[in-house]
Amino acid sequence: MSKKQVRHIEQVKSANRADQLRFLAELRGEVQEEAPQLNVKKFLIISLIVVAILVAGILVAGHQITAIEDRNYQIEQGLLSGDIDGSVSYWLLGRVIAIALLAVYGFFMLVKLARPKRRKPNRSFWGDLGIYIMLAIIAVAMAFPLVFSIASSLKPLDELFRFPPKVFPSHVTFDNFSDLVVTMGQSWVPFSRYLTNTVFITLAGTLGHVIIASMAAFVLAKYDFPGGKLFFSIVVTALMFSGYVTGIPNYVIMSKIGIIDTYWAIILPAFAAPIGLFLMKQTMESLPTALIEAAHIDGASEFRIFWSIVMPNVKPAWLTIMIFSVQSLWNTNAATVIYSEAKKTLVYALQQIQAGGIARAGQAAAVTVIVMLVPITIFILNQSQILDTMASSGLKD
Amino acid sequence: MQQSFLTRYSAMKREKLRYGWAKAKRMKVCYLFLLPYALLFLTFFILPIATSIYYSFTYYNILEPPRFIGFQNYINLILQDEVFLTAVRNTFVIAVITGPIGYILSFLFAWFINELPRWLRTVAVVVFYAPSIASNAFFIFSIIFRGDAYGYLNSFLLQFGLIDAPILWLLDPKYILPVIIVVSLWMSMGAGFLSFVAGLKGVDHALYEAGYVDGIRNRWQELYFITLPQMKPMLLFGAVMAITSAFNVCDVPRALAGYPSTDYAARTIVTHLFDYGFSRFEMGYASAIATVLFLVMILCNKAIQSMLRRVGT
Repeated sequence: MSKKQVRHIEQVKSANRADQLRFLAELRGEVQEEAPQLNVKKFLIISLIVVAILVAGILVAGHQITAIEDRNYQIEQGLLSGDIDGSVSYWLLGRVIAIALLAVYGFFMLVKLARPKRRKPNRSFWGDLGIYIMLAIIAVAMAFPLVFSIASSLKPLDELFRFPPKVFPSHVTFDNFSDLVVTMGQSWVPFSRYLTNTVFITLAGTLGHVIIASMAAFVLAKYDFPGGKLFFSIVVTALMFSGYVTGIPNYVIMSKIGIIDTYWAIILPAFAAPIGLFLMKQTMESLPTALIEAAHIDGASEFRIFWSIVMPNVKPAWLTIMIFSVQSLWNTNAATVIYSEAKKTLVYALQQIQAGGIARAGQAAAVTVIVMLVPITIFILNQSQILDTMASSGLKD
Repeated sequence: MQQSFLTRYSAMKREKLRYGWAKAKRMKVCYLFLLPYALLFLTFFILPIATSIYYSFTYYNILEPPRFIGFQNYINLILQDEVFLTAVRNTFVIAVITGPIGYILSFLFAWFINELPRWLRTVAVVVFYAPSIASNAFFIFSIIFRGDAYGYLNSFLLQFGLIDAPILWLLDPKYILPVIIVVSLWMSMGAGFLSFVAGLKGVDHALYEAGYVDGIRNRWQELYFITLPQMKPMLLFGAVMAITSAFNVCDVPRALAGYPSTDYAARTIVTHLFDYGFSRFEMGYASAIATVLFLVMILCNKAIQSMLRRVGT
């Protein structure tokens, strides 16, 4: 081992040792040191000013660059008389510097805010830094396609097909959305019909699913009866069935029952979605059994226990399975079980527009935005409840 | 001895059955609660699997009644249908890459964002989870990977001089599969990811403190010795979800690479099934494909579950 390595190891050891001692002291309550508190208000105001100045600078530079380039181009073409302005490169340089400053500042702010005030003891600064950089890069990459579809839906047609293409529109327009309304108005079946279909299917399917799955989950979680465990293990296996594997026999079965080409063909299978039962059962298991026994002694019937004791106590869980159900029903195109145009779903209709090719590229982007906004908004509004429920989603042996 | 063991065994079984029956009678109301769900579940999830297995031994085209032909469908599938073999190969390539990578990445990200402050964690969860619920937002990739110079990736590469002619990302068999894998990875942070985030939030902090006093030096040791064993149930759940999404790739190749795709380069088992089931109406043959897929998924799941049980022990 080289001297440097030895020194490094000793440094790490002693650092760890110091950390450890401080931590132990903290545990015993001997040290009550508080990290110097950051004045949040001041910090936010300063950052706001800095960011505003930098953004304004970038925008002004961008404007100047296009203006000067336009003028130079016209002079080159002989449309205008005058000298070619050579200051473009300064503006370009200025813009690059401003963007770099903004990135650096933003990053430091992120690190400052991201590192928790009371740190866990065995976290190295460089490790944290590396993780933040990686997370930031990947988060940008993950968000890019979604941001890009929103940006595309706001572009006028000429910008959708310019070379070199730009990610963000330079002239924001809502033409694509209004064109979409026009296209939809010309469709064979009125657009509102598709919307009503989807809303009806989503509401009915979700309501039934929550009630039926919760009833089953309640007895599976809280009563020990013959066959219950077996049934639940089959449901867990069924988590793996996708709609495609069961698609063909489902079609045959539905046509035997006579529900092909009705809303029931989508709604009834949605009632029995395994994920809802699974999450509900796992959550209900954590309810204290004593609660139910007490209700029993007080003479409540099983249904009453279910409806007025268990259900109010698992509100996060049924919000969660509601959201999963809404997501999957909102996104069904159900093309294989619904034939009548008047009963088709919104997503099906929108997919037809997306298939319209280059002429409808702008409208297709608008469609993508409209369809994706609904589930994402619902998720954002309910994410804390969803996470509460998912905490009990584990599969026990 | 043998005889007496058998009689004793059967007597025991009978006793157990009698007891179970009595218990079941006592708990009638439980079955009443279970009935609506069980009925629908059996009709739309279990019965289809059973019928699918039955149809896979028949020739069935919806118009005529199914005709029993034994293993002929399976023999054709393996010996004659070259496209099926391509589909199997593609599906396995996609599943082997997106399954484990998506699974590991969703755990790592969940673990990293677990230590962020609350508001930042919320933002991160939304950003990572949004692609998997954003309906058919993957449609936007058909613009990014467009084959002409206006496609965003192409024009980007052209501008920087990395290529000198636009690449037909979605038509050239060489590039179709990687593109599909990238898009599938983008969408792979699903219910499993949420389960990881929630599970990590619930790990008892006293364990970390105890581990620290016991001499855990860095975050990786902490991950291996404390976090992973605590997270085992969530890991099992995430695995089921990852396998399901890895093997059922269908919408992405159909929307991006076309249906059928060039040289069947984007053909997966599920698109093959779709082709035979809903375009050619050879339901018997399609059922055989479905059965094969189903078996593969069950086996894969069993293997991975037994592997995950050993984590941290």
